[in-house]
Amino acid sequence: MAEVLANDVRLHVQRLEPRGGASPDAPVVVMVHGMVMDNMSSFYFALGTCLADAGCDVICYDLRGHGRSERTPAGYRLADSLADLAGLLDALGVDRPVHVVGNSYGATMALAFGLESAERVASLTLIEPPFLIDGLGEEMARSLTQILVAMSDDEVQEWLENGAGRVAGRATRAARRLLQETTIASDMLATPPFSPTALSALSVPVLAVYGENSDIIGQATGLASLVPDCTLIVLAHHTHMVLREATGYLRELLRWWLFDRATPAPPYVRATTRRFETPQWVTQMVPPPDLNAERRGELAEGSRR
Amino acid sequence: MSGEGAARQAEIEARVLGEVSEDLRDVIGEEYAVDMEITMETTFSHDLELESIEFVALADRLRERYGAAVDFVGFLATMDVDQVINMRVGEVVRFIVDSLPTPATAGSA
Repeated sequence: MAEVLANDVRLHVQRLEPRGGASPDAPVVVMVHGMVMDNMSSFYFALGTCLADAGCDVICYDLRGHGRSERTPAGYRLADSLADLAGLLDALGVDRPVHVVGNSYGATMALAFGLESAERVASLTLIEPPFLIDGLGEEMARSLTQILVAMSDDEVQEWLENGAGRVAGRATRAARRLLQETTIASDMLATPPFSPTALSALSVPVLAVYGENSDIIGQATGLASLVPDCTLIVLAHHTHMVLREATGYLRELLRWWLFDRATPAPPYVRATTRRFETPQWVTQMVPPPDLNAERRGELAEGSRR
Repeated sequence: MSGEGAARQAEIEARVLGEVSEDLRDVIGEEYAVDMEITMETTFSHDLELESIEFVALADRLRERYGAAVDFVGFLATMDVDQVINMRVGEVVRFIVDSLPTPATAGSA
C-alpha cells in the first residue's frame, strides 16, 4: 500500500508488517518526519525497517507537501497536520494506541498529538523537538522564510541549472516549490502556544532525545521539567542531526523503549573516532558550494527543522 | 554447482536484474532512465543518482513483486541509509535470487 486518502489529502504511506506477520500484540509505531527538507525515507531507513524486523507494526508516511504525498496549496497549520495524522490512523483502521516517534518538527507534532489525543497514544519518542511554550510558530515561520529567501537567489538558480546533481537539485526544487506555492510558512504562525498545565497533566510516557551539540539543546530541560513521565537522553558529541548521526544507538534505544522499558536504558558509548559536523546531505542539498559561509550557516540551520 | 545449475542460476539472475531494472525505471521515470543501461555493477547513488525516497518506492515495488519470499525489510534492517544508497544493483539482485525458492534441478552437484 503506498497511497492513503486521509483528511482529504493523498498521503504516501509505507506500512512495514512485523516480522512473522501482523499480530494484535505487535506495538504499532508511527513515524513523523521533519519539515521541508525531509521525508519519510529518513525514518524508514534509520528506524522503520529495523523496528519492523524487531516485531513492530511500522507506519511511515510523507507529511502533506513532502516526499510523495500531495502538495496541497494550503493546510499546513499544526492543527491540519494533527488532523492528517488522526485521519491516517482512521483510514488504516488502527484502533490501538500507537507509539509515535517524531524527528525535529515531526517530534513537536508528535507532542501536540499526544496532548490532543492521549487516548490514541501509547508513548511518544521525541527526537530533537523544537520546544518553546510561546513563539514556536513565529520561530518556525521565520526559519522557513529564511530558507525560501536563500533558495530564491540567482546563484542558487544557476547552481540548480548547472552544478547541482539530480538528488540535490530535485530536493532543493521540491523544497522551494513547497515554500513558494503553499502557505506552509505563514501557516506556522497559527501554531498555538503549548499549555504548561496540559503538559504537566500529560499521562503518556515520553522519551526525549537531544544531541549535546544541538542548537536547540537549551529547550530540552524545559520540556523534561514540564512533562511528568519524561526520560531525557542527551547524546554527547551529537547535533540536531542525531537521527542520522547516531542511528545505531537510536535503534537500540527504541527496541529498549518499546520492548524492555522495565530495565535500565542502554548506555550510550560516545563515538571517539568520528566528529559530527554538518552532514554532507545538508551541504549537498541546499547551499551551492560557492555561497558565502555566513549564509550557508543559516541555510543549514533552517533546513533541519 | 553443476554446469547446468550455474547456467540456470545465471538465467535466474538475468531475469531478476530485468525485473529490478523495470521497477527502477518506473520509480525514476523514463525520461531520465531510458538511455541508461542498468547492470549488476550500476550504483544507486553515483550512477542512478537515486533519492532515498525513490529507494523507498523501489523497495515497495519489489516487496509487491516478490511477496513474502523475499524479506526486504530484514535485508534493509541491518543497513543505515548511506549503506542502502551506496549499494550496487547487483547486491539487491543477488539477495532476491538467494531468497527465491531454489529450483528443483539446482543444487544437485
